[in-house]
Amino acid sequence: MKFALLQILATAALLAQSTEPSSREPADPNINSRYTVESIGFTGQSHYRLSTGAIEEMHRLIGAKVSTEALNRLARRIRSELRATEVTFKLARGGEPNHVKVLLEVDKRKSNFDLSIPAFSYQSRQGWTGVAEAATTFGANTLTAGALSDGDTLAERYTGFKIRYDRLSFGTDRIRLGFEFDSYHELYDRATLTALDNASSSSLGAGAYRSRTDFEPSATFVLAKPLTLTVGLSFEQMQPQVSAAHSESANAVINTLRYHQRWENSDATNQELDAGYNLRAATRSIGSDLSYIRHLVNAHYGLRHEHQSVEVTLTAGVIYGHAPLFERFVLGNSSTLRGWNKYDVDPIGGNRVVHGSVTYGYHIMRVFYDTGSVWDQGKSPEARHSAGIGVSSGLGIFHKGAFLLAVAFPIRQGRADPVFIAGMNF
Amino acid sequence: MRSGSRIHSLAAGAFLLALLSLGVLAMSVSTEDLIVRRSGDLIRVTAPRLHFITGKSLQRLHDGSIVPFDFQLSIASGTRSNVIQRAFERFTVSYDVWEERFSVVRLRDFRKSASNLSASAAESWCLENILAQTPALPADRQLWARLEVRSAESKEPSSSPYADPGISITTLIGIFSRPPRPAQDHWSLESSAFHLSDLKP
Repeated sequence: MKFALLQILATAALLAQSTEPSSREPADPNINSRYTVESIGFTGQSHYRLSTGAIEEMHRLIGAKVSTEALNRLARRIRSELRATEVTFKLARGGEPNHVKVLLEVDKRKSNFDLSIPAFSYQSRQGWTGVAEAATTFGANTLTAGALSDGDTLAERYTGFKIRYDRLSFGTDRIRLGFEFDSYHELYDRATLTALDNASSSSLGAGAYRSRTDFEPSATFVLAKPLTLTVGLSFEQMQPQVSAAHSESANAVINTLRYHQRWENSDATNQELDAGYNLRAATRSIGSDLSYIRHLVNAHYGLRHEHQSVEVTLTAGVIYGHAPLFERFVLGNSSTLRGWNKYDVDPIGGNRVVHGSVTYGYHIMRVFYDTGSVWDQGKSPEARHSAGIGVSSGLGIFHKGAFLLAVAFPIRQGRADPVFIAGMNF
Repeated sequence: MRSGSRIHSLAAGAFLLALLSLGVLAMSVSTEDLIVRRSGDLIRVTAPRLHFITGKSLQRLHDGSIVPFDFQLSIASGTRSNVIQRAFERFTVSYDVWEERFSVVRLRDFRKSASNLSASAAESWCLENILAQTPALPADRQLWARLEVRSAESKEPSSSPYADPGISITTLIGIFSRPPRPAQDHWSLESSAFHLSDLKP
């Protein structure tokens, strides 16, 4: 009993000690808290693109006394925005007495080895699609190896691997180099093989092929911060279904102009615009057996305000010449005309496409409407529509790693056949 | 052949053990380096050869950051492992970028602080302010004092002690109940055996 009483008294004494500081806490233990922040910048010659909110926070700190807590909060915010490994701050004497400069040091080193699943989706009609990647970074170099099986994006299911080397800066941060090698084995739906056998499409450049390899060197130039231009070459070799036949090549010049801008008007409202133009021009002058030009324009706009979000996506494409199956446009998958089966829409795709999609989100709920058409030159397009409802993980539309579970319906007269879609990062 | 390989593996084991011991020794100070003094009803310690404001911690201080150090002073009686009293403190050190002098704050009591110190004076100030109580100690038994010092980890800004201002004795007990992390700077000192009656008040 006596020992129990002693224990209670000892515990009470400890608790009294532990609660003591909270009553007069707010002082900063940093002796430099008596100095005024003269400026906030980054170490070295580094320039980073920060949100308006982060810049406003920096402005608020300039002219105020040094606060370790406030500077740590700013460092955490910048680390999150830049997706950096670590952001730390240093204090240095300012130009005036009793003033200090704050220098932020951003460590953007990625871990030496990353394993990821950049995309995974399942559609009840077309099966699953998955990509697994391993990446290693050494200095400004990244080597990525991936394995994938994609039955979603093209008329064919392609399964194989890809290896990519990226030089993240070449003399300057405004130039990046990339070399990619892909090797895929193809599988076709019966509807696609039947359509290929009866191919009336004079625009189809090659029939079914059992495998294909691609080597793609490219260079990306940052023209102005949100605007980039990628130029390169694609050397694609297709092995025919019949081994005795000659392989065919589709060597193309590739150009992609991309604009990506994000605005944060306040903590509650975000906007994002991602727009791009892609040109692939296969020509005999670089040893291509097939000759064609493929243009694709796409734009994605997202607006989020508190718990509500709206996303609008537009895509349009046209192919001139004789493009192989993997270049042709497809609608009716986990991201376009959701609810339709791409083999019902067009089992070999088309050389013209227009598609639009609107998604409204409230908290985790999502409602979407898709419309579009894919057709061949000389034929009249048939507009198709679909709608669906589902749930998505991230409340924000800009969150990476979001997953979506949805049920989608093709809008047509007669019966309604729902399609179940599950996906991640697509 | 088999005995030869066994000798090799034993030799390799001994070599690894020696390396490990060297590593431990690198972070330790000999028993004679912790000197115990009595000051009324309090026991104070000094350690002239202990320098913890060094290396990465010193670099961070020169960069204007705060660096907390956690202290545990334990008194054992009868045997070295029979700990009968423990005292815990966290001291936060900072470095004035204009004055080029150190400042120390005892985090659970902001009124207890010192500034305009050299590095060794800041270290001494920390030791002067970690205290054990004599009334709870047996006068007739052999005693040992042991001091452990750890730099608090602060790789993440969010894990800085200031982000957790309500640092409590309970938290410090939890910290010292775990072994230090491999990357964490830590020092451990033990006094030679003493009797309370041998200490001059």
